[in-house]
Amino acid sequence: MQFENRAPDEHVNYSIEHPLKEFAWLAGGVFGGLLLITLLAGFFAGELAARLPYRYEQSLAADTASLLVDRATDPRGIAIEQELNRLAARIAAHMPLPEGMQVTLHYQDTPELNAFATLGAHLVIYQGLLARLPDENTLAMVLAHEMAHAQLRHPARSLGRGVAVGIILSALNSGMGRSAAGGALSTTGGISLLKFSRDQERDADAAALATIAALYQHVGGAQDLFRVLASAGAGSEQLRVSMLSTHPLSQERIDAIATLARTRGWPEDGTRTPLPVALRGAQPAN
Amino acid sequence: MDFILDYFELALFLFLLALGFFAGRFLERRHYRSIRQREKKLAKVLTFATRFPPNLVEPQDCRLVSGCVVISSDYFKQFVGSLRNLVGGRFRGYETLLDRARREAILRMKEDARRAGYYLIVNVKIENTSIVGGRQGAMPSFELFAYGTALKPIKHAV
Repeated sequence: MQFENRAPDEHVNYSIEHPLKEFAWLAGGVFGGLLLITLLAGFFAGELAARLPYRYEQSLAADTASLLVDRATDPRGIAIEQELNRLAARIAAHMPLPEGMQVTLHYQDTPELNAFATLGAHLVIYQGLLARLPDENTLAMVLAHEMAHAQLRHPARSLGRGVAVGIILSALNSGMGRSAAGGALSTTGGISLLKFSRDQERDADAAALATIAALYQHVGGAQDLFRVLASAGAGSEQLRVSMLSTHPLSQERIDAIATLARTRGWPEDGTRTPLPVALRGAQPAN
Repeated sequence: MDFILDYFELALFLFLLALGFFAGRFLERRHYRSIRQREKKLAKVLTFATRFPPNLVEPQDCRLVSGCVVISSDYFKQFVGSLRNLVGGRFRGYETLLDRARREAILRMKEDARRAGYYLIVNVKIENTSIVGGRQGAMPSFELFAYGTALKPIKHAV
């Protein structure tokens, strides 16, 4: 009796297809699908949140704003806040704020180069940013930009969106555990939120520019703001990947301002107003 | 430098993915080459799944022979695998992994038999054990264990 073990057929038990083909299909399908779902959910959640009457946002803000924002207690801080609120009131006169919206400015005596708007139209500006602003026009651009976020209900939209996308991602996360793809999928969900965030910045820039043009009859100072931000961003700005940033790149924003000013016929510069005396106090001693 | 720090997680992920893909593919090809070569070399050691020796007439000397192999997935396969877990379907990356492991375990068993002078193995079975690390989401590893009864005719010293 003669027996033989033949060599196994190499095409039965495994596939000879290139592994990158399977990878491309799976990654494209899963990541594309997730991006689409989070973009859709984010869009509808944001629109829904922006349509809620402002008083609901206000009552929510009453609980959270006191935690987020320390009120200035020293006399200098109070004087700066008063001056900022006066300027905000002048800007508000040129802005179609929703009914019942009262903008409140807060000053933070810390060196961060930042300003933000949160629920209930509470705006915060940091000493680090205020100290770098050359004139009132530039400061007005900062305030108008943050007020535009409030006017366009961006904090409420972001909250609604964050909740919707967060629910999707946590559902996915509980299913995936700490697998290799789990982290990458969460990042993809986060990227869709970043897209909304950049769109909001562009909308706020445009609304702020219209307000500045109405207030000063020119848009001088608006571009300076982003030059200040770019120069303080120190180098990394050029290398930042636009798709992975919360804000559009400074140069893009400067260009967008120039284009918008040209199409609307706003003079790109004019007489600048110096900073009010109380705010000059925020400048560093030297 | 700032760029690397800003996107460190992303860069690390892409690096691991590329490392897994290129290293995994290189090792897999090399392993398959070695498997095919040794399968030819050990072709004269015959293996059967049947419980009975083909030659039931002659008395046989027998002994247990075994071959064991532990394999681990690479980052690329694991990544594709976790995506595959979401949508289902044929898991191509692990098919080659387990195919290699099975053939390697059988080869080691044959080698074990050949060294002891046996050229026939019956009742060949393969067991597998999954070795899961302590933390969740750890790289999957498996142990494959092939064993069988090696037979050779008893030479009568009269």
